[in-house]
Amino acid sequence: MDTLLTAEIAANAPRYRRKSSTFIDGIHDVSEDPSNMAPAQLYSTMSGRLFHSGRIAIVMVGLPARGKTHICVSMARYLQWLGVKTRIFHLGDYRRATVGEGGQVPQDYFYPNASPASVMLRQKILKKCREDIYGWLNHENGQVAIYDAVNPTASGRRSLAKEFAKHDVQTLFIESFVDDEEILKENARNVKISSPDVGFHGMDPDEAANRYLQRIQTKIPVFETMQEEELNYIKMINAGQAFFYNNVSFNYLSHRIVFYLTNLHIKSRTTFFVRAGTATEEDSYKADAPLSEAGKAYAVKMTETLIKHREQERQAVIDGGGRDLPLRPLSVWTSTRLRTIQTGEPLKEQGYKVRQRSQMSQINPGVCEKLSERAIRSLYSEEVEKHELDPYHHRYPRAESYHDLAVRLEPIILELEREQNDLLIIAHESVLRVLYAYLMHCSTRDIPKLKFPRDEIIEIIPAAYQNEAKRIHIPGLDPNMIPGSPEDIRIPVQSPVSGPLSPLVGPSSPEPGEIILSVRPPEKVINTAKEMVADKVADED
Amino acid sequence: MAPKTNGIGIQVEDMRICVVMVGLPARGKSYIAQKAQRYLKWLSIPAKTFNVGNYRRNDAPQPSADFFDTNNAEGERKRRAAAEAAVADMLQWFKNGGVVGILDATNSTKERRKWVIDILEKKAIDVIFVESKCDDEDLIMANIRDVKTTSPDYKGQDPEEAAQDFRNRIRNYEKVYKSINADGDEDDLTYLKIMNVGKQVIINRIRDYLQSRIVYYLMNLHIRPRSVWLSRHGESMLNLEGRIGGDAGLSTRGEEYARKLPELVLESVGSDRPLTVWTSTLKRTIATARHLPKHYNQLQWKALDELDAGVCDGMTYQEIADMYPEDFQARDEDKYNYRYRGGESYRDVVIRLEPIIMELERSEDILIISHQAVIRCIYAYFMQKTQEESPWVPVPLHTLMKLTPRAYGTEVQTYKANIKAVSTWRGKGSTAKHEDPSPEGGV
Repeated sequence: MDTLLTAEIAANAPRYRRKSSTFIDGIHDVSEDPSNMAPAQLYSTMSGRLFHSGRIAIVMVGLPARGKTHICVSMARYLQWLGVKTRIFHLGDYRRATVGEGGQVPQDYFYPNASPASVMLRQKILKKCREDIYGWLNHENGQVAIYDAVNPTASGRRSLAKEFAKHDVQTLFIESFVDDEEILKENARNVKISSPDVGFHGMDPDEAANRYLQRIQTKIPVFETMQEEELNYIKMINAGQAFFYNNVSFNYLSHRIVFYLTNLHIKSRTTFFVRAGTATEEDSYKADAPLSEAGKAYAVKMTETLIKHREQERQAVIDGGGRDLPLRPLSVWTSTRLRTIQTGEPLKEQGYKVRQRSQMSQINPGVCEKLSERAIRSLYSEEVEKHELDPYHHRYPRAESYHDLAVRLEPIILELEREQNDLLIIAHESVLRVLYAYLMHCSTRDIPKLKFPRDEIIEIIPAAYQNEAKRIHIPGLDPNMIPGSPEDIRIPVQSPVSGPLSPLVGPSSPEPGEIILSVRPPEKVINTAKEMVADKVADED
Repeated sequence: MAPKTNGIGIQVEDMRICVVMVGLPARGKSYIAQKAQRYLKWLSIPAKTFNVGNYRRNDAPQPSADFFDTNNAEGERKRRAAAEAAVADMLQWFKNGGVVGILDATNSTKERRKWVIDILEKKAIDVIFVESKCDDEDLIMANIRDVKTTSPDYKGQDPEEAAQDFRNRIRNYEKVYKSINADGDEDDLTYLKIMNVGKQVIINRIRDYLQSRIVYYLMNLHIRPRSVWLSRHGESMLNLEGRIGGDAGLSTRGEEYARKLPELVLESVGSDRPLTVWTSTLKRTIATARHLPKHYNQLQWKALDELDAGVCDGMTYQEIADMYPEDFQARDEDKYNYRYRGGESYRDVVIRLEPIIMELERSEDILIISHQAVIRCIYAYFMQKTQEESPWVPVPLHTLMKLTPRAYGTEVQTYKANIKAVSTWRGKGSTAKHEDPSPEGGV
């Protein structure tokens, strides 16, 4: 029986999930290639661990509906981006695997005075989860294990820290503490009760939220907020309104995490990505040329499509019985390159706030500027060979690699997290690739090959467990400006085995002969695999 | 308190922040204020510290401890007047385009903090309080002996007596001191409270990215003694021809410098404790670091590469002046902001160096081998050089610089290798060739 149980747990455990494609947020996937470096990783070490920080267990603390999953996922996204090998272990996954589909844990499972049978079950589940954590840290060169569970008592947390210390693992607790009724209800409304599984379907949302919160109270009657002076902990109060930071042993990584968390918020907002229009001197990076006539026409059409789309989305919410809220404000960011600034002009003329960000300039092509692929192959044949081995990290002489670009984009990523308005980013394809890769967690092997055709606005909608992407067609464009990347640096990139990779499924540019004036409805691509989504929303850890 | 919106977007550019220091004397407030100012100015964010003590000194140059007794009406009046004068000057400075003003004073009572907020919020200036709280008596006395007894207040007095007087002065403040939100009624304030040199930290209601950046920066500061060594690469083949940029190897004399560098470093460090070496990704810096001891850890950073001269890369100044005469002149007029066609400006370099500065602040002994423009930018950070000055600072080849941060500024020592090299310095508005910097030039 035990063997069977283990197999079942293993099959459901997050560590066995593999990345499927670039259009699904890969934050919960496991890289198959241990040598694969992260987008913004500055250096690598023999052990695979960075910042002289050793191995760390980040232990989450907090009752359900406190946004723990959102915090875990966002933090993992950021740490992995920096190159810190991070994996999330949701205790709930192990519990569900143990009790089986449709099974329930005993009523007294979370009680302090639980029956011996419940205590045994609890310990079995905990043991399996911790074994996986040690496996990850000790045998798979993992550096950070995020342990997502309620961890409600001080004594439990103390013994946990002691146990990790025995395995030479430093523990950092992160508690999400919420005493603001509004935030609690909002969380309960948004994440939990919308799921049909929970049994509140069709109920008045406020009533359902209250019932849900009461249910937590009955299920987990004892919760002690963190006050343990001898432990390292960060207490995030009311979704980032305040932080308390108990720093027993100085550690750079935890400062970095606090910095990230101070920029995180839980309000929902979307990010749009578009390319800049075509310029008069497409081939030259150094010229920094202005938009061509076609480029200007593109800017106008893109603007119209975006504004119309936002208006339609809002209408759809109202028609679906949602509240009639005003449209969220939209901020626009461009790089300091002329073509991106000019692409933002029509929006600026309509009164939208446009900011220029010098960090968002396109990748520098170095010696490859204006050279044909053939010329590069003959002039720099050795470099081409190296490039094909690792197109993400290799840099041509005087050029930037994608990795260099990712490092320089880091402040942009933090501001992206902080931004509360909807955000439109107008940038070169190379910059879009890297920012998209952050939000959708693409592997460094895929990033250089992501395609952003000009006739699409990419919209990314955040959700607690994973982000969703949507593409909006811009109708009526000159077919010559849509595909590929005429302004791209002619750095030869091996074509992927399975055809061109678009961040999203479906045809990325119209087939020859297709009527391009047709308006394609916005397409939403989300991962609906049951075990990934449905299961999560009912999660009560 | 809500961010100012115009219905379309948050007006980030219009944000003005006042960092108000809070804490008893000798808690490192001025150190924090000074570091924050330097960091922000270096990022081209107009920042200025207004030290209330300096205003008070005009009125009461060398007061004794009783001056600070809250029962001393005369002292109280003068201290209040000093605070008012400092705030008035700060408001004037905000009117003229200031972005982050730092009010360096004890601000140790709720009433005083309320007074500050009322004035600033009327002018739509966001307030972030930064409190340094410390109960460790040894740390406090060490700070008093180290810094305060050299203060102008005690000029010409016996240091031990001065330390005792200062300790008494603090006791007067302690009588009325109230830590931020100690009573729970200041929860709506934005604040950072650092307790016992970072053992505990409270961060409350951070409202924008700039505030979070300031907080993160302050959390990375440490007070362990350390130094930063800076060197340019050895003379390169392109230096010999007077060409800028490129990715050339070292000249014979450059090679000689690379071989001499370990000796120079050892002389400056004074022991064989290892340094961490950071180079750029260009050949000339890597070659310069080649002979350093094997137990020094070496890292390459793309962010330390030379300023990209775009179309002018690999040209001499004469060629640039001939081919792009307008650009050549434009660069002289505003060298900091001038961006080479298809290349970078000094401002761009500073932005890409920001993560390096953050790493430097949290690290201990580091040796950086990089390039003229990059070293100028890092030097400007430590020495608080203005944008007008920093792009013109002479950084001669074949010279090692040691920078040691101190409480009120940075100490510089230079070590010359005595190996000849061409000059790569050109004065403002001068002819299009390299020349020898004037002796009063700087470094």
